[in-house]
Amino acid sequence: MKSNLKGFAENVLFVLNILIVFFLLFESRVVIPNWMVPVGRMHPMILHFPIAILILAMVLEFFRFKNQYQSQVFYQKFTSNLLLIGLLSAAVTVVMGLFLSKEEGYSGSVLQWHKWTGISIVFFASLVYFFRNYRWYNHLVAKGGAIITIVCLILAGHYGAILTHGDSFVLGPIMPQEAIPQVPLDQAKVYDDLIQPVFKAKCNSCHNPEKIKGELLLTDEASILKGGKTGKLFVAGKPEISLLLQRIHLPLEDKKHMPPSGKPQLTTEEALLLHLWVKRGADFKAKVIDLPADDSLRKLAAAILKPVAEVAYTFTAADEKTVKKLNNDYRTVVPLAGGSPALSVSIYNRKNYNPKILDELREVKKQIVSLSLDNLPVKDEELKTISEFENVEVLNLNATDVTGEGLKHLVNLKRLKTLSLSGSKVSYQNLQLIKNFKSLKTLTVWNTGIADNQVQQLKKANNTIQIISGYKDDGKPIKLNLPMLKNATPVFKQTIITKITHPIRGVELRYTTDGTDPDSLKSAVYTKGILLDEHTSMRVKAFKKGWISSDVAEFKFYKSTYTPDSIALVHQAVDRFSANGAKTLVDNELAELVNLSNRWLGFDKKDMEVMMWFDKPVKLSSVMIQNVTLPIFLILPPGNIEVWGGPDKDHLKLLGSSKPVVPKVAGVSVFTDNYVDLKPTTVSYIHIKAKTQFSLLVDEIFLN
Amino acid sequence: MEKEIIEHGLGYNRRRFLSKLSLGLGSAALGSLLIPDLFAGGRSEPGDDFIAGLPMFAPKAKRVIYLFQNGAPSQLESFDYKPKLREMWGQELPASVRMGQKLTGMTSGQASFPLVGSYFDFAQYGESRAWVSSLFPYTSKIVDDICIIKSMHTEAINHDPALTFFQTGSQQGNRPSMGSWLSYGLGSENKNLPAFTVLLSRGSGNGQGVYSKLWSNGFLDSVHQGVQFSKGEDPVLYLNDPAGLSRDDRRKMLDKVSELNHMSYEEFGDPEISTKIQQYEMAYRMQTTVPEVTDLSKEPDDIIKLYGPDCLVPGTFAANCLLARKLSENGVRFVQLYHQGWDQHGQLPSQMTAQAKDTDQASAALVTDLKQRGLLDETLVIWGGEFGRTNYSQGKLEKDNYGRDHHPRCFSIWMAGGGVKPGLVYGDTDDFGYNIVKNPVHVHDFQATVLNQLGIDHEKLIYKHLGRRYRLTDVSGKVVRDILA
Repeated sequence: MKSNLKGFAENVLFVLNILIVFFLLFESRVVIPNWMVPVGRMHPMILHFPIAILILAMVLEFFRFKNQYQSQVFYQKFTSNLLLIGLLSAAVTVVMGLFLSKEEGYSGSVLQWHKWTGISIVFFASLVYFFRNYRWYNHLVAKGGAIITIVCLILAGHYGAILTHGDSFVLGPIMPQEAIPQVPLDQAKVYDDLIQPVFKAKCNSCHNPEKIKGELLLTDEASILKGGKTGKLFVAGKPEISLLLQRIHLPLEDKKHMPPSGKPQLTTEEALLLHLWVKRGADFKAKVIDLPADDSLRKLAAAILKPVAEVAYTFTAADEKTVKKLNNDYRTVVPLAGGSPALSVSIYNRKNYNPKILDELREVKKQIVSLSLDNLPVKDEELKTISEFENVEVLNLNATDVTGEGLKHLVNLKRLKTLSLSGSKVSYQNLQLIKNFKSLKTLTVWNTGIADNQVQQLKKANNTIQIISGYKDDGKPIKLNLPMLKNATPVFKQTIITKITHPIRGVELRYTTDGTDPDSLKSAVYTKGILLDEHTSMRVKAFKKGWISSDVAEFKFYKSTYTPDSIALVHQAVDRFSANGAKTLVDNELAELVNLSNRWLGFDKKDMEVMMWFDKPVKLSSVMIQNVTLPIFLILPPGNIEVWGGPDKDHLKLLGSSKPVVPKVAGVSVFTDNYVDLKPTTVSYIHIKAKTQFSLLVDEIFLN
Repeated sequence: MEKEIIEHGLGYNRRRFLSKLSLGLGSAALGSLLIPDLFAGGRSEPGDDFIAGLPMFAPKAKRVIYLFQNGAPSQLESFDYKPKLREMWGQELPASVRMGQKLTGMTSGQASFPLVGSYFDFAQYGESRAWVSSLFPYTSKIVDDICIIKSMHTEAINHDPALTFFQTGSQQGNRPSMGSWLSYGLGSENKNLPAFTVLLSRGSGNGQGVYSKLWSNGFLDSVHQGVQFSKGEDPVLYLNDPAGLSRDDRRKMLDKVSELNHMSYEEFGDPEISTKIQQYEMAYRMQTTVPEVTDLSKEPDDIIKLYGPDCLVPGTFAANCLLARKLSENGVRFVQLYHQGWDQHGQLPSQMTAQAKDTDQASAALVTDLKQRGLLDETLVIWGGEFGRTNYSQGKLEKDNYGRDHHPRCFSIWMAGGGVKPGLVYGDTDDFGYNIVKNPVHVHDFQATVLNQLGIDHEKLIYKHLGRRYRLTDVSGKVVRDILA
C-alpha cells in the first residue's frame, strides 16, 4: 500500500514536470480560465512549504553517505519520503506561480530570475530524486546536488520576496537614508521636485517597470502621458474629470480607489499638489518661481520646499566629544542646527576671560562660523588666533579692547560677513583696511569715537558694506525725570532722615519745604539727608547742564507719634474696601494710588466713626486724616471732622474740628491730607467723626 | 522607625515605581522604543542642555525680546489708519460690517455703536511709507526697520484668555509659555543666566493683571520656567547670600547639598531632583552674573538719551527695555516684557497719550540699539498686545473723549530683526477697521513664525504629556513666509 502510494506520488511528480515543460514551451498562448485564477493566487500561501521541506531534505541528503547514517533504515527512508513531499509541493508551487505570472502587473527581470530559479529547483531536485539510488550517485554527487538545490531555493525565495515587498524591504529601515535632495525654492521644478516625489512615495511600488499594475507606469514623463489600461491619466487643466484624481478621491472602500486600501494613502497635501498640478496644465518643465506669487501651488510649494538656498558647508563636523569638552560655564559651543557641521560660539563673563579660552577653540577652528566675544577684554593680539578660524562669518567684538591694530589678521577670514566693533577702541585709520574684507556686508562702529564725517568717508570708500554708526546724541536737550524718594516709608515716629536721589549722574537737586516751587538759584541744594521732626512736604526739582530741568516732585513725610492700643469702628466699612478692619487706619502704611489696594477703608453715604483707646494717657495736639479723592466718582473728603476725647468713653469733650476743602482735580485720584488742630489735651480715649454724604475712602489717621 | 519605613513606602508611588522599573528592566530596549533619538546622541541624561537635532535648521534669530503691551493697545490710534472712521464720526456701525459678532458684556448692552475715528493724526514715514499715528513719534522713525502686521486676529475676547492664548497657544492655563518652549527646545546660550526671563512694568492707563501662570513651564521641567526680574535692589529675589555667609562657605554648602541631592536622585530617579541641583548651581553662578548684567550705571550718556532718562528708573518700561537688551546681549534666549495699562475702555485720548509716551521711545530705542551693535539680525523683537479695540465708542462719545472695547477680529503688532522683512506693512483691514480683508495672521501662525525664525518647525517641537502630544501651536498654525526676509 505504502509503496503504491509512493509510486502514485512519483507519477504525479513526473506529470507535473511535464506540465511545467509544456507551460514553458507554450507560455505565450496559455490563457488562464477565470476559475483557475485563485489557484494561481495561492502561490504565496504554499510556497513556504517547499522551501522548508526541501532545505531539510537536502541537508539530510548531504549527510546521507556518512557511515553512521548509511546503515540506518529510518534515515534513508525518511530522507527519500521527505524529498518526494518537498518536490511535490515545489512542483505545485511552480505551477501556481506560472498561473500567477500570467496575471497583469508582473514583468521585468526580477520575475524572470524568480521563475527560472524556481523551475530549476523542481527540475534539479527531481533529477536528484530519480537518480539517487544509481550506483554512480556517490557522496560527492549528493553533496553537490544538495548545495545547488539549496542555492536555487534561496535565490528563488529572495527574488520572490522582492516581487512582493519591494527592493529594500528588509534592510531599508536601517540603511542610511538616501538623503532627500532638499531643493531650494528658487531652483525647484514643479514636476521634478513636487509631483514626482509623490508618485515615488505612494504609487511607484505597483506602477514601476517591474510590476506594471493596470498597465500604468508612473516613473517617467512619456509613460505618465500615455496612461494605463483604463485610459489617459488626466485632462490638462481639468482635474475634476481627470482619472488620476478621480481614483484618488473615490471612497477608500471602492475597489478602484488608489492607492488600494492597505497601502499608504496620499496626504491631503499630496492630493492637493496633484490637483493643482493638473489644474495648471500638468506641465513637466515649469519651475516653481515661474508661478505667480499668490498662486496656490506656489504657496504650497513654499511650505514644502526649503525656503532659501542655505549655505552648504564643505567642512566636516567636529568630533562630538571635543565639542562637549569645549562647553563650560562661560563658553558655549553649539551646532548651528541639528546635523550641521557649523558651530556657533559665545564666550561670557569679563572676569573669567583669558586668551587661553580662545586658544582652546583651535580644536574646532574649521567649524566655527559665528563667534561672540561681546564685552570681553579681548586684545588685538588675540585677533591672530581668531584669524585661524577660517570659516567665521559673524564676529562680535563689541565693547572689547581691540584698537584695530590687529584687524589686519582678520583679512584672512574670507567668509566674514558681519563684524561688530561697537563700543571698542577701534580707530578710523585702522578701519581703512576693511576694503580688503571681500565678503564683509555689515560693519558696526557705534560708540567708537569715529567722527561722523569719517563714517561718511568710510561709507563712500566701501559702498558694498553697510556701515552702521548708530544713534548719536543730536545735542538737543531733553527733560530730566523726577527725583526719587528712597526711604522705605515716609511715615516716622520721632524723626526721619530723608533719602532723595536722582537716577542720572551729575544732577543737582534743589528743594523747598514751604510749598513753593524750587528754582535753580535761590532754593537750597540737596546734598545729603535732612532731619525732619514734623509733617513735612518737600518739593524737589532736578537740574543738569545740557538738560531741561525736571518737573517738581513732591514728597510728603508724615509723623505718627501715637498708635492706639485698640481701635474700633462704629459702622463697618463697605465690603469691597474693608481691608483689615479698623486697624488699617493706624498701621502707618500708606496705600498706593495706582493700585486699588486693600489698604484703605471705604464708607458709602455713611459717616466714619472711629473709637481709639490708649493704655497710657497721651498728650494729643493734632489729628490728620488722609483720604483718597476722585471727584468724578463722588469720592470726596469728609464734609466735617470732629475729634472728641477724654479719660474714658463717658467723659468726652470736643477737642477740635475742621471742614476740609474739596481739591480741584480732574479725572485722576489724589490723596488729600485733612488736618485737625487740637488744644493739647491728655486723653486715654478719643472718638473721631468724619461726616460725609458721598463716598469716603480713608487711608490713614496720624495722631500727634 | 516603623513610621519611617511606611513613609518611605508611601513616597514610593506607582509612577515612580513604574518609571524606576522601566529603568531597571532592559531600559535600553524600552527606552529606544519610547525615545527614538535615544541612541542618536540626543538628550541621554536628565539635565543635558540640548535636545538633539534642535534647532532643526539654521536659525535666523537666536533670541527673542517680546515687548508685550498688556491690555491691548488700540490699532486705530497706532498703526491701522482709517480715515473713513473720522468721516463717519458718530454714525452707527453698519450691521453688515459687524456681521452679528458677539460683543463683550461691557458694550453688548449699549443701545448704539457710534463709529469713532482716531483722535490722533496719522502720517506716512520712511521709505516704506507706513502710516503711524502722532502718538508714536519715535516708532515712526524706525518704520524701515520693522514689519507692521495689521491683520492679526485671535480667538479670545477677554484679557486673560487672550493673553494666555498668545503666550501658551491655549486659552486655558497649564500649558508652557512660548519662552519655556524655547528654553526646552534650544536651551540656554549662557549657562550663567536663565534662558527665559520676565520683566514687568505698568503705565498709568487702565490696567489688567499679569499672572505668573503666563511664564509658567506648564508640563515641562520646572527649569524652563520664566525667571522674573524685579525692580527692587535685588533684581532676582533670594539670590544674594545671607549676611555673614562667604562665597566659599556657600560653595561648600552647595557641594554638600548637591551630594545629598544626588543620593536622593539615585534612590528615586525623580527628574525634579536633578532640576533642583541645576537650579542651585545656576543660582550660584547668577550671583556674580546678575549684578554685572543688571548694572545700568555704566551705560554711556548716549544710551540714556536714546532710551529716555526713565531707563535708569528701575521698574519703568524704558528701564526694562534697556535691561532686556543687556540680558539678550548676554545670551538670554527669551526676554518677555509686560507693560500694563493699555485697556482704554474710556478716556482713550488722555490715557493712550500717557501710555504711548511711556513706551514709544524705549521700544524704538531697543531696535536702534540692537541694530547699532549688529545684533538685530539675530534678535527678534516683537511689540504688540493680546487683541485689538473696537471701531465704535464704548460709553458716551464726546468730541475729545471716548473709549474702545475689546476687538479680537483685527489688530496690529510689529516685529523687527531676526530675519523678518524690514520696512514691510503686511495684511489689511476693511475701511472700518473691523474685519481683515487681506492676509490674515492667526495667533498660531504668529507663533509658528516665531519658532521658525529660531530654527524650529512648530509641528515638530512636541512634548508628550498625559498621553497626548502637545505643541505651542496646538493643532494649527502656518509660518507666514511672506514676512520673512
